[in-house]
Amino acid sequence: MTPDFLADIRFTDLTWAGAGPFGTKVFSDFGADIIKVESSVRIDPVRAGGPFRDRQPGPNRSGYFASRNTGKKSFTVDPKTPEGRAIVLDLVRRSDVVTNNFGAGAMERMGLTYDALRAVKDDIIYLSMPMYGESGPLAQMLGLGMTISGVAGLLWGTAYREGDPIGPGTHYPDHAANPYHAAFAVLAALRYRDRTGKGAKIDLSQVESTINFVGQGVMDWSLSGQEPPVTGNADARHAPHDIYRSKGADEWIAIAVTSDTKWQALCGVLARDDLAADETLATAAGRIQQRARLDAILADWTRARPAEQAAEQLRDAGVPAARVASSRQLIEEDPQLAARGYWQRVEHPELGNSLYAALPFTVDGERIDLKRPPLLGEHTTEVLRDLLAMPEDAIADLEDKGILK
Amino acid sequence: MQPYSGIRILDLCHWLGSYAGRLFADLGAEVIRVEPPGGLPDRTRATPGAFAFLNASKASVIAETLAEFQALAATADVILLERDAPFWDQAEALRDRFPKLVVTCCSPYGRTGPLADAPASDLTVQAAGGIAWMSGHVGEPPLRLPYGQAAMVCGIYAAVATAICLRDAEKRGRGHLIDVSGQEAIAHSLQNAIQVWDLESRVSVRGGEGTRDASEDVFPCADGHVFFASPPSIPAAWRALIAWMDETGHPSGKALSAPEWSDQEWRKTEAAKSAFRDHFTAFVGSMTKAEIREQAMRRKMITAPVARFPDLPDDPQLQYRDFFTRVNGHRFPGAPYRFSEPVWSVSQAPELSR
Repeated sequence: MTPDFLADIRFTDLTWAGAGPFGTKVFSDFGADIIKVESSVRIDPVRAGGPFRDRQPGPNRSGYFASRNTGKKSFTVDPKTPEGRAIVLDLVRRSDVVTNNFGAGAMERMGLTYDALRAVKDDIIYLSMPMYGESGPLAQMLGLGMTISGVAGLLWGTAYREGDPIGPGTHYPDHAANPYHAAFAVLAALRYRDRTGKGAKIDLSQVESTINFVGQGVMDWSLSGQEPPVTGNADARHAPHDIYRSKGADEWIAIAVTSDTKWQALCGVLARDDLAADETLATAAGRIQQRARLDAILADWTRARPAEQAAEQLRDAGVPAARVASSRQLIEEDPQLAARGYWQRVEHPELGNSLYAALPFTVDGERIDLKRPPLLGEHTTEVLRDLLAMPEDAIADLEDKGILK
Repeated sequence: MQPYSGIRILDLCHWLGSYAGRLFADLGAEVIRVEPPGGLPDRTRATPGAFAFLNASKASVIAETLAEFQALAATADVILLERDAPFWDQAEALRDRFPKLVVTCCSPYGRTGPLADAPASDLTVQAAGGIAWMSGHVGEPPLRLPYGQAAMVCGIYAAVATAICLRDAEKRGRGHLIDVSGQEAIAHSLQNAIQVWDLESRVSVRGGEGTRDASEDVFPCADGHVFFASPPSIPAAWRALIAWMDETGHPSGKALSAPEWSDQEWRKTEAAKSAFRDHFTAFVGSMTKAEIREQAMRRKMITAPVARFPDLPDDPQLQYRDFFTRVNGHRFPGAPYRFSEPVWSVSQAPELSR
């Protein structure tokens, strides 16, 4: 379906790079008018980052950009010029929401503070999401997903062994925690505005958002005074519980025996009546004591079998198990994602027919159909003419002056 | 007045959907855990911290029979269902009976497809969704993320989908049935790995092997570890590092000025990684996390101390912003976002009624 649920909402969207645009994308996917204000001079780093169609760089060829900006309009302008700033204010006047994820102080330097924007639209909803908040002793720290993971306590816990931190293999907080906390906050502010007539400023510190994403661990520490143990793929309360090598090169299977019943089921699949009958293994406490021995037994079994086949056998018996899927396997071989129509293809003038992850849910049994991401500056003239009612000669004048780059 | 004042949500989640109800509850919705007499499964399965965090600000009632549940449902705006808990099979019946109701269903693999009923856990959802593959070291197994990330990712997508559909239900009188899959939620959060395969036929490998610069990693220092990155894509950061080393007269500055460090491809090799680690650790090994952070801020370099939970209350920025709050005497994470209006609050997770 192509939903119109948010068709009455318009954003002046100044977000760029990863975390900001991923949070506004869900609004355009549900029908909101998202005017992405960008620059062809200071280009969105994700437009300049790959992967690219045919490995040929170009501002309209980045798959990363495409995946964060479906259904948006691209409007190029230089907000640092007086004319450009006036245009941005004109867009804000006709918007419900203004979003940015610049570093602390950048919006102030452009004269686009909450107060300045409230002066042109008194119930505006204003979202900022700098790494560490807008002011304070560390507000100027440079933020990436990995630095946020570092200071929030996520990096420390992502490790095989205590004391040897590795961290997530991605800039993880950029890809769910921070964009979706931001989206949820904006949706709440919209309902608040509808009830009270008041807009709101939302100050989202990506560090504070990410600490909430590790809040389960923070609270285990806070309640007990003990840091939760760093266990890698194991679990302090269950065994066996790990990722084991499967048949093939770099093939792996995750197996989690999370109850005594599942332990008995595992013994059945392994045809190990001796283990099933061993009373020292009947409880989690006993199995945890013999964790290394059980891991070795299980690893012998998994190494002889293809991951997907073993996972299916275990799941059929009631044991949580899954092949550790790579991106290629998810796309090409995962029967569950295929059956649910998770992958979408969208036509695009430069990216061709390329692949997108759908929103990870269906609504009323249907997928939300993604719309094509914009070319750089594709909607500049259209927005000036149709939304801001600007005459053609005035638009041409702005172009001549280099305001619309 | 809070954003979700006047909204009543019945919450039957015990794992993947629990965070969704929590987010609404903090912003004013009346979120009621509807539990069987022995409690929902998380009362015994979740760690104490997970339970306290995911169920703060909620209430709890006991409903034993379908009739009791339906009587509650008649008063609700939203119902959050989760697989392996009561009334999971009632989604369609509820939608038929209450046209304006939003019913959000969370499960490991979604309500349809061959794995709809398959057993699952945090580890297997992270494996099936592709995030485990992307972390860890090559030569060792893939590595899952800690602290219940399957539930966090699934829960936050469920919250946003529910908020959007609730808006439609309130504005236009159209209720909805949302089917959130934990596997899909994870697969939606893989950075650019999907496009890297689709457009360039490359599989993003754990640890960014073959793609990550030698300077981008976790390194030991005097009182713990720091994350550091000065890749050639940010030339100023690399120059700033060399300048810092040179200013102190440390030999690593000269070593890292050798011509091979201008070769972006070589810098991704194991040899480069090992060499950078030696030179950089020799330089920062006797410094503290705070010293490195201070230098990095002054010199516009990218670094971060690797904090442990007991470090968080001492973080100067979190102190400045007075981030942590207290719930029932215990330190508790503050809001994930701050509103200019005082609309967020948190309270203790509910006990089971007797």
